[in-house]
Amino acid sequence: MLTRLTRSSALTLAIFYVLLGVVSLALFAFPLWYAWQVTIEDGRIELIKEDVQRFSEVFDRRGDEGLADFINQRVSLQIAGERILLMADPRQKPMAGNLSAFPAEIPSAPGVYTLNMTLSGHPTRVVLERAALPGGYTLLVGRDLTHLSPLETRFWEGLAGSITIVIGVGLFGGWLVRRAVLSGIDNVNRGVAAIVHGDLSHRLPVGGRGGEFDMLSITINRLFDQIEQLVHGVRDVSNSIAHDLRTPLAELRSRLEEIVVTRPSGEEVYDEVAAAVEDVDRVIGIFNALLRLAEIDTGTRRAGFVEIDPADLAAKAADFYRPAAELKSISLDFRAETGLGKISGDPLLLSQAVFNLLDNAVKFTPAGGHILVEATQGEIAVADDGPGIPGDEKQHVTERFYRGDSSRGTTPGVGLGLTLVSAITSLHGGRLDLSDNHPGLKARMILGGSAS
Amino acid sequence: MKVLLVEDNERVSRFVVKGLREAGHAVDHVENGQDGLFLATTETYDAIIMDRMLPGDLDGLGIIENLRGTGNRTPILILSALSSVDERIKGLRAGGDDYLTKPFAFGELLARLDALVRRIHGDDVGATHLAVGDLQMDLRSRKVSRGARAIALQPREFQLLEYLMRHVGQVVTRTMLLENVWDYHFDPQTNIVDVHISNLRQKIESQGETPLVKTVRGAGYMMTAEG
Repeated sequence: MLTRLTRSSALTLAIFYVLLGVVSLALFAFPLWYAWQVTIEDGRIELIKEDVQRFSEVFDRRGDEGLADFINQRVSLQIAGERILLMADPRQKPMAGNLSAFPAEIPSAPGVYTLNMTLSGHPTRVVLERAALPGGYTLLVGRDLTHLSPLETRFWEGLAGSITIVIGVGLFGGWLVRRAVLSGIDNVNRGVAAIVHGDLSHRLPVGGRGGEFDMLSITINRLFDQIEQLVHGVRDVSNSIAHDLRTPLAELRSRLEEIVVTRPSGEEVYDEVAAAVEDVDRVIGIFNALLRLAEIDTGTRRAGFVEIDPADLAAKAADFYRPAAELKSISLDFRAETGLGKISGDPLLLSQAVFNLLDNAVKFTPAGGHILVEATQGEIAVADDGPGIPGDEKQHVTERFYRGDSSRGTTPGVGLGLTLVSAITSLHGGRLDLSDNHPGLKARMILGGSAS
Repeated sequence: MKVLLVEDNERVSRFVVKGLREAGHAVDHVENGQDGLFLATTETYDAIIMDRMLPGDLDGLGIIENLRGTGNRTPILILSALSSVDERIKGLRAGGDDYLTKPFAFGELLARLDALVRRIHGDDVGATHLAVGDLQMDLRSRKVSRGARAIALQPREFQLLEYLMRHVGQVVTRTMLLENVWDYHFDPQTNIVDVHISNLRQKIESQGETPLVKTVRGAGYMMTAEG
C-alpha cells in the first residue's frame, strides 16, 4: 500500500500543487512585508524628526539646562517611546538621557542613520538622528527596529496560518483526486482484465457525464467492440472454412472409398479419379480465393497499380461474360459515360471484381432478364433485374463465406465473391455499394483514387 | 523433346517425370540448384522446368539469371508455390518464359511446355495466312472462310481462332486462352471460356462439316484438321 501511495502519480501531483501554492503565497507575502518594513522605518524616522524638532525648540527657549531637565523628566516619567535619547555637551559627555555613555558606533557628522549597535548588552537594530544644537551640544534621538509591533506579529502569524491551510487543503484535494483517478483506473483495469480472461462481452461502465474517464471508457469499449467483432469474425470464418471444405472433402472421400470397396473396372476408376481431382480443385479454389483475399487485405498489391481506363476494363469484362448471359437468355448491355478519366489501379484485380459481380448477376438473374454494366466517373456498376438482396442481408453479403438464405444450397458458390469485390474496391480507396435496382440488385464499385 | 526438371519435392517430380516420359519426352531430373545449373550449361535441352525454391544457395531464379547471363536461351517454365502476381512478374523478369503455380494440373504443364518450345522455334510468327484443313484465315484483311463459306467473326472470336490455329495440333488450356486471348492472368473460376469456344464452334463448324476444335478432357482444347 505504501509503495502504491508513493508511486501514485496523483499524490505526486498533489504535492506539486501544494508546493506551488506555498511558493505563490511567499511570492505574494514577501513584497508586501518589505513594503511594510519600509513604511514602518519611514514612520519612525518621521517620529524621530518631530522629536528633534521639539527638543530644538525647548533648547531655543530654555537653553541647555532647560533641555536637559526636559529630557530627564521624559526619561524618568517613562513616557518616551524613544529607545535612545541623549543630550551631550560639546565634549560629548552625556548631560541627560537614557544612555550612560556616548555610543562609539555613531558617525560624527549630523544626519539620520540606520545601524546595529549594542544597547544594554543586546545587539539592536536602530534608526537614529544625530543633531547638532547651537553651542556645540549634540542631541541623539533613536528608535528600536528589532521589536515587532503587534501588527507585524499578526502578519507573520496570518502568513503561517495561510501556508498551513494551503498545505492541508492541497493534500486533502490531492487525496480526493487520487481516489477519483484510482477508482477510474481501477474500473478500466478490471474491465480490461475481464476481457483478457475471455469475457468478450464485458464493457466498461460509462457514467454519462462526459468526463475524461467516460471518454476513455467509450474509446476502450469501442476497441473491445472491434476485438469482439474480429474474434467472432475469425471464429465464423474458421467455422465456415471447416464447413465449406468438409462438403467437397466428404464427396471426395466417399468417391475414393467407393473405388476401394467396389473395385470397378479400369476405365471406371479413371473416370472416378478424374472426378476426384475436380473435387480437390474445388478445395484448392477456396484456398486460392482466401489467399488472394489475404494478399489484397494487406494492401501490398498497391505496388502493382498502373493507369487504367475503367470504361475499357468494364467493356472487356462485359464482352467476356456476354456469351454466358446469352446462353441463359439474359441480355447484357454496356454503357459508359464519355470522357472518363483514367484511374490508378490494378487491372487484374478490378477485372476480377467485375467478373465476380457479373458472375452473381448471371447466376441470379432469371431467363429473359437484363444486366447492365455501367462505367461512370470513378465508378463501375453492375445492375440486374433478378431477385436482388433483401435489405437486412446487404450488410452481411461482403462477409467471408456469407451466403444468402435463398442461395444457400440452391446456387453453387462458397460465399467469397462479394468479399473479394469489397476488398478490391477498398484497396483502390473506395467501397462497394449495394442498392435496390427495383427490381434486382445494383452493385456499384466506387473507386476512390484517380490517376491525375 | 528433351526436358530438364529441377525440383526438390519428391512427389511432384515423380509425377512430372512419369507424365512427361509417358508423353514421349526424355527427362533429366535433379534436386538442387548446383546440379541444375551444371546440367543446364553442359547439356542441351529443349526446355527446362524450374522450381523456384530449392535447397542450397542457388534458387530457381538464381539459376535462370545465371543461364540468361551466359546467353543460354533454352525455354524455361517456372514452377512455384508463390502464386501472387508480383511473384509471377519477378519470375518472368528474371528470364523465365512462363510461370505455373503449384498445385497444377499435369495437362496444363504439358500444354504450356509444348507451347513454349514451339514458340521459341518460332515457326510461323511472320505468317500472313493461316490454314487448318479447309479453314482459312487471312491475317491482313482479317477474313475467315471455310471452303467457299465466308465466316463473320467478332474481334475477340477472331483472336481466339487465331490462337487456336497458330497452335494447331497442340493442346491449349483454358488458362492459356485466358492469358493469351483476353490477357487475364488470373483464374476467374468460371467456365466462360467454354461458352466462347462453343460459340466459335457453331460459327466454324456448320452442319456436315468436319469438327476442327476437339475437347481434351482434363486439359483444354486442340485444333486439328483430322477431326
